[in-house]
Amino acid sequence: MSTFAGLNTALAGLNAARLGLEVTGQNMTNVSTAGYTRQRVDTSTIGAPTQVSGYLNALRAGQGVKVDQIERLGDTFLEARVRSAATSAGFTSTRAEAMLAVEDILGGTGEGSLSSTLQGFWSAWADLSNQPSEVAPAGVVIEQAQVLSDQIAGAYHHMEDQWTASRDRLTAQVDQLNTAASAVAELNAQVRVGLAAGANVNHLLDERAQLAANIAELAGGNVSHNEDGTIDVLVAGNPLVSGDTANRLQVVGATNISQLPGQVAGVQWANRPGVSANLNGGKIAGSVSILAPASSGGPIATSAQALNEVATTLASTVNAIHATGATTDGTTGLDFFALDPSSPAALGLSVLPTSGDEIATAAPGQGAYDRSIADAIAQLAEASGGADEIWTRHVSRVAVDTSTALSQANLADGALGAATGAQLALTSVSMDEETLNLMTYQRAYQGAARVMTAVDEMLETLINRTGRVGL
Amino acid sequence: MITRVTESTQLASAYRNIQRANSELARLQEQGSSQQRFARPSEDPVAAGDSMRLRKEIAAQTQYGRNIDDGNAWLTSADSALTTALDLLHRVRDLAVQGSSGTNSSLSREALADEVEELRDELLTTANTQYLGRSVFAGTSDAGVAFTDDLTFTGTPGATVERRVGPDSTVQVDTDGQAAFGSGADSVFAALDRLATDLRSGAEVGSHINVISDHMSNVTGVLSAVGSRQARLDRQADANLADLTDLEGRRSEVEDVDLAKVLIQLQGQELAYQAALSVTSSSLQTSLLDYLR
Repeated sequence: MSTFAGLNTALAGLNAARLGLEVTGQNMTNVSTAGYTRQRVDTSTIGAPTQVSGYLNALRAGQGVKVDQIERLGDTFLEARVRSAATSAGFTSTRAEAMLAVEDILGGTGEGSLSSTLQGFWSAWADLSNQPSEVAPAGVVIEQAQVLSDQIAGAYHHMEDQWTASRDRLTAQVDQLNTAASAVAELNAQVRVGLAAGANVNHLLDERAQLAANIAELAGGNVSHNEDGTIDVLVAGNPLVSGDTANRLQVVGATNISQLPGQVAGVQWANRPGVSANLNGGKIAGSVSILAPASSGGPIATSAQALNEVATTLASTVNAIHATGATTDGTTGLDFFALDPSSPAALGLSVLPTSGDEIATAAPGQGAYDRSIADAIAQLAEASGGADEIWTRHVSRVAVDTSTALSQANLADGALGAATGAQLALTSVSMDEETLNLMTYQRAYQGAARVMTAVDEMLETLINRTGRVGL
Repeated sequence: MITRVTESTQLASAYRNIQRANSELARLQEQGSSQQRFARPSEDPVAAGDSMRLRKEIAAQTQYGRNIDDGNAWLTSADSALTTALDLLHRVRDLAVQGSSGTNSSLSREALADEVEELRDELLTTANTQYLGRSVFAGTSDAGVAFTDDLTFTGTPGATVERRVGPDSTVQVDTDGQAAFGSGADSVFAALDRLATDLRSGAEVGSHINVISDHMSNVTGVLSAVGSRQARLDRQADANLADLTDLEGRRSEVEDVDLAKVLIQLQGQELAYQAALSVTSSSLQTSLLDYLR
């Protein structure tokens, strides 16, 4: 056994304790860092040297402690669970947000809503039927018709704006995804190099896991870990990140709601244009489903189509009756509403009469102040298949769809909370635990230092005092 | 594996609970201040559908109420006009009876004829009664009078002014002037003209009494028809009021919030929120570091 073996053993202990203190310090200072996974020093004992010759028969002690690695206490299964929960949470929350916005545009059921304006319109016709000769009720009918067509057009414009805003958000989300993917690819390269050189790459792994979670929230996907420490991210079966290369997605298709349903807004791979990326989860898929045309259930397009239907039905049902009636001077065949064929019905609805003389209230031949036509138009409020019924049914359907989307979003949010909680329970830093570690390593350091002092004194006695008997 | 509890998990859980208490508090405050049970249809789709349907029915019933009031005014003016006409015709008949006795001098016959003519003009004015610019006895006509000076009836036969008092029911509110007063040469005015002429010329006027009695029974018949329509409108008005009250009650049940209940829930929720806050603050403060030298 070497004379200085004890010193080496003590030195190994000092080094290990100091490294342990440093790692504990790293953990403690990062207690509130988002995405930080706690680290731990793994040590193992160094055994006694092997017997090389039979002459020196003395037993030997072990040679101290060595640090195997600084372990990052993450768990790939918990991370995968968080990713898949984030995917559904992203999808449902995007859909719920957009549908709430659409419901706000449609207005509620009380005063100021489209259904109350429609009621005001039919009431104005009923009042006109009571007093077809007066100027004021005729003026009210024309004004209410104007308010109605303005409100329908206003709601349609809001739908257009909402669609465009959602498309802009989709573009921003795809940009975010591309940025995250290229960052992951870069980190992959750094991790591979670092691990091959034996360096501590735990902070790179933390950053990469955060980015992978962001990617999952945006687009879903699976992560597979490779032998060399890199990860591959597969989205809808196609590789988004493969080693140190990243592929890009891009947004294509309609840029305005009026281009639906001929062109549909969607997401494609940049290196494979013409083929839809077919994402089935995450915020991007949620945005694409919001922008879908009415035939595929896209909420914005469905509401826009309902507004068009209301305008068309209003015009056709009122005009059909109005044309059979006569004005006070006997003219028949007049229309009340006009529809501009070159624009969507909701925007192209306009009121033709400008004064009471141009409103047909009487049935022809029943006297100039007959009001049966005005009464028949007022009764359209109750007509089945009429504008009121279409609107009421649409508002109810939107209410049900929105309420469903909201509860789905809440459920997904709860699942994400639970998954994140489970992950945090493993990876987050507990100050109490780190404080105990601190105390342990401190004592270990003190102990190793004592051993070193003891061996040092022993050697001093041996070297300086040997042979000096009695001196 | 036993779940590890760290500062992060405690904070996350505390935040979640405080946020949940807070959002419930905000919802109750919104309900209490707006008095609405739901602020948007998606919070309660079934109630939203009911609310739309009830509001539509309320609007329709309110309109019917207005129609009933308007119709009542029409029928009341027709009623008073016909009653006046009846009184005038009574007086004319008395004059005719007086003139048919043989003891009249030409001067007194002249006076009778003058009075008959005055009564005839008054009767024509009564027949041309207007309500809000419309002829009560020729509702759909825009001529301004029901009978022109040459006694032509300006109304269209078979055309009526109706007021809608229910989804499928209407009430006629004008009166057929032709049925009450006749028209042209058969009208009561022409008959009175002939009576005046006969009185002046000294001819026998006894035959006129029956003619006037016939016209009076016409007017009486129309008056009773107006009366029955008024009775129907009154019944309809009662029914309308009852419907409106009932509908308003149902609408309030669906849309409005029970204020007492909301206030109690609000108190309870405030307590829950305060409890969450105080528990969080006391549990996050202590750690091992406080107890080491």
